[in-house]
Amino acid sequence: MTHSLHRRGTYEELKDEYLLLVTIANGVNNSPDAKDKLRRVLDEMWDVGPVNTGSNETGTILSGVSVDEIKQGFTKVPRIRCCFDSKEKIREMLRRLIAMDLGVSVTISGSRSDVEELCREFGIKPHSVNLSLQVWGRTEKLPEEDIMKFITMCGHGLISRTLVEDTINKVKAGKMTPEQGAVRIGTPCVCGFFNPTRAVALLQKYVPAAGQN
Amino acid sequence: MIVDQNKCIGCGICTLYCPADAITIRLNAEGKRKAVIDQDTCLECGNCIRRRVVKCPADAIYELPEEERSIGRRMRRFFSDPSTTHPLTGVPGRGTEEVKTNDVTGRVCRGELGLCLELGRPVLGTDVREIQKATTALAELGVKLEDCNPLYDLLEDPVKGTFKEEFLDERFVSAIIEFTIPFERGEEVLNKVREIAEEVNTVFSLDMVCCYDEDGTIPALELCRNMGFEPRFNSKVNVGLGRPYVIDKEERDRRNAQ
Repeated sequence: MTHSLHRRGTYEELKDEYLLLVTIANGVNNSPDAKDKLRRVLDEMWDVGPVNTGSNETGTILSGVSVDEIKQGFTKVPRIRCCFDSKEKIREMLRRLIAMDLGVSVTISGSRSDVEELCREFGIKPHSVNLSLQVWGRTEKLPEEDIMKFITMCGHGLISRTLVEDTINKVKAGKMTPEQGAVRIGTPCVCGFFNPTRAVALLQKYVPAAGQN
Repeated sequence: MIVDQNKCIGCGICTLYCPADAITIRLNAEGKRKAVIDQDTCLECGNCIRRRVVKCPADAIYELPEEERSIGRRMRRFFSDPSTTHPLTGVPGRGTEEVKTNDVTGRVCRGELGLCLELGRPVLGTDVREIQKATTALAELGVKLEDCNPLYDLLEDPVKGTFKEEFLDERFVSAIIEFTIPFERGEEVLNKVREIAEEVNTVFSLDMVCCYDEDGTIPALELCRNMGFEPRFNSKVNVGLGRPYVIDKEERDRRNAQ
């Protein structure tokens, strides 16, 4: 599915957000050494420094899972998902993936033009793209855009509107910092694509001015 | 999911995390606050029983063993809880690997378009009746729905796009209608998608998979813009590092025939 796609926000808000997916194809290149390959990728990824990573089976580092637990939890069709919060980090990760030459599928979700620019830098030709063609149907029933920016950080639909609104209210009341709020909202995302850096930035505007509380 | 009424202390922490708003706090006959999960509304996403998420202080939320759950409730789980793997696909999640492994599966090659309508996403969720509105409309065009997708398992008639009666009232966080078409049918299908948007009583996220041409351009961009479907700037790019690499459909068909 497309759980890294359809994120809401402006280019300015999303330009430093890159979601990396390293995936073994079931029935195609799911060789006996697939888990070992992805464990190597996981080590490199951790060394580069993601702001979040996880797996559907274990949960995320944001919710307290360790990288070793994620590694031990690989299924027979292993996959890696993580979130970087800068172009420099995804550039370094892509450089390492090209050097490792493992023959596994790599997708990057982010600004299309910026990802294409990275590919040109490394002399690789992107294979295909999944384009987000927006949301259709009864869009008038959706929450306001500021709420959607948080909710769509979990493409699996596990972040509730109620949790986002309650967290914003707590930040407004000075009962929670943006950092605490970002972890709270991001915990239900089990795959590791929730971006706590962007969530903190989005919550900053709700912090009361000094002396207001 | 079910709340053990004897264990629940009525703190209400679980109510915040339910994406379907299925959990409410009510007073029981003794006037004590207790959480209650409405079974029609619950989508079985699993949020409330994840100990790292809700952290129920009384450990009061549980689910019945699989053999005691109805087929409908098990289906809700496949389309709502990303930690489950449907036996049909062999991969976690609600659809295929779409573009993630497209460089080795060749699911969508040059000269083709892959389309996904994810009904219920974001926020609103969907029941199968709404999904059927879309699948039957697409079936009128002779579109062949992806058979390696858990939705396929629920279909009564894949050619007509109709679902088995027993699933029509089931509700999911989302379900993905996936299919691949020749590039030249893109305009006709996008027109139908626009009609579907007028018919459904929920939302759907729409995405399109397309291969890059040899010169690095994306042929689908012009098609989408001409049709009034403006792609967002943020996309999901398969950078082409997988092997065995395939991008030519004749080569894919030869390989699949072997």
